[in-house]
Amino acid sequence: MQFEDCFRLLAERLTDEIIVTSAGNCSELWWHITQETERVFYLEASMSLASLFAGGIALGTPSRTVVAFSGDGAFCMNPGMLMVERQLNLPNLKHFLVANRCYGSTNDLALRLDEQVDFVGMARAAGIERVYRFTRIEGLSAGLDEVLTLPGPVFVVLDVEPLGRKLPSPPLDGPEVKFRFGRYLERTGGRPVFDTQLSRS
Amino acid sequence: MASLPDGWITNLIERFSEDRRFRHVAVNREESAIGLCSGAFFSGTGSLALMGASGFLTCIYAITKINYTYQVPLLIGITMRGRPGDKAKFHQSNGLYLDAILQAIDIPFVPIERTEDISQIGIAYRHSRMMARPVVVGFTRPLLRGDA
Repeated sequence: MQFEDCFRLLAERLTDEIIVTSAGNCSELWWHITQETERVFYLEASMSLASLFAGGIALGTPSRTVVAFSGDGAFCMNPGMLMVERQLNLPNLKHFLVANRCYGSTNDLALRLDEQVDFVGMARAAGIERVYRFTRIEGLSAGLDEVLTLPGPVFVVLDVEPLGRKLPSPPLDGPEVKFRFGRYLERTGGRPVFDTQLSRS
Repeated sequence: MASLPDGWITNLIERFSEDRRFRHVAVNREESAIGLCSGAFFSGTGSLALMGASGFLTCIYAITKINYTYQVPLLIGITMRGRPGDKAKFHQSNGLYLDAILQAIDIPFVPIERTEDISQIGIAYRHSRMMARPVVVGFTRPLLRGDA
């Protein structure tokens, strides 16, 4: 399926979830489509840790669903993340692997590492029971509610075409991402993040 | 508490695992502890990333990218491998380069060498939150063996 169609559908349907996007295309495209600045942590400065960063949020925020987007380039750097996700066994963590088979943030250079790799099989072998793979937008649209509503750690492979163009990064400095995101979590019922609370009046 | 073991801290990790005041997560590599604990900050959850000195050296990318870019506090506990008395030849590089690398990335370091230093761990945690950066506490072998 087309990368942008996939993310437009997700942006339309993921309306209340906490979102963590990994470096490159995932952050750039989510920003391009949504311009969101509060419930999204654009983890642009790191590869391979988006799902565990999201896991840390989900661990202490059991009432909210936390969605992590990893690129397949990032995933290949740290596939052992699946074992930690299985151990965490968080019902509110949903990990989407965006498999565009290239390094989207570096001019779509071919990934090459994944030609013989079955991401779904890797997740199952790591002990994650609820694993999905969507190759067409219709399938994603039909299956997304199940992914989001059934409890349990979930790993979802989204097979997409390379984006084919370079989009700008979210125009937010790191501390701005931190404070917008953290204050949003505090304001929407999360535990205090910062030592100094802002007045809610 | 997220950890990856070093031979000096296996008992400490087991103590954390058995202590119901903590949730222990055994990670696949040290960088994963940095990611997990940094996310935990945003859920209002205090955390410790515990690892060996060698593992810490693999985390420079994650620390400087996540914690420095976004100013996310984090307490990291490491072993002071490679100091005089450490008989493991494969850890001698830590003795040569660990201090210099800590200084190179300007990360505050608090040595925990004697029993009376243990109270410094809480101070280091609060200092990390105050300055919105990671702080490293370093455990010596005698302290971890209960000989200090």
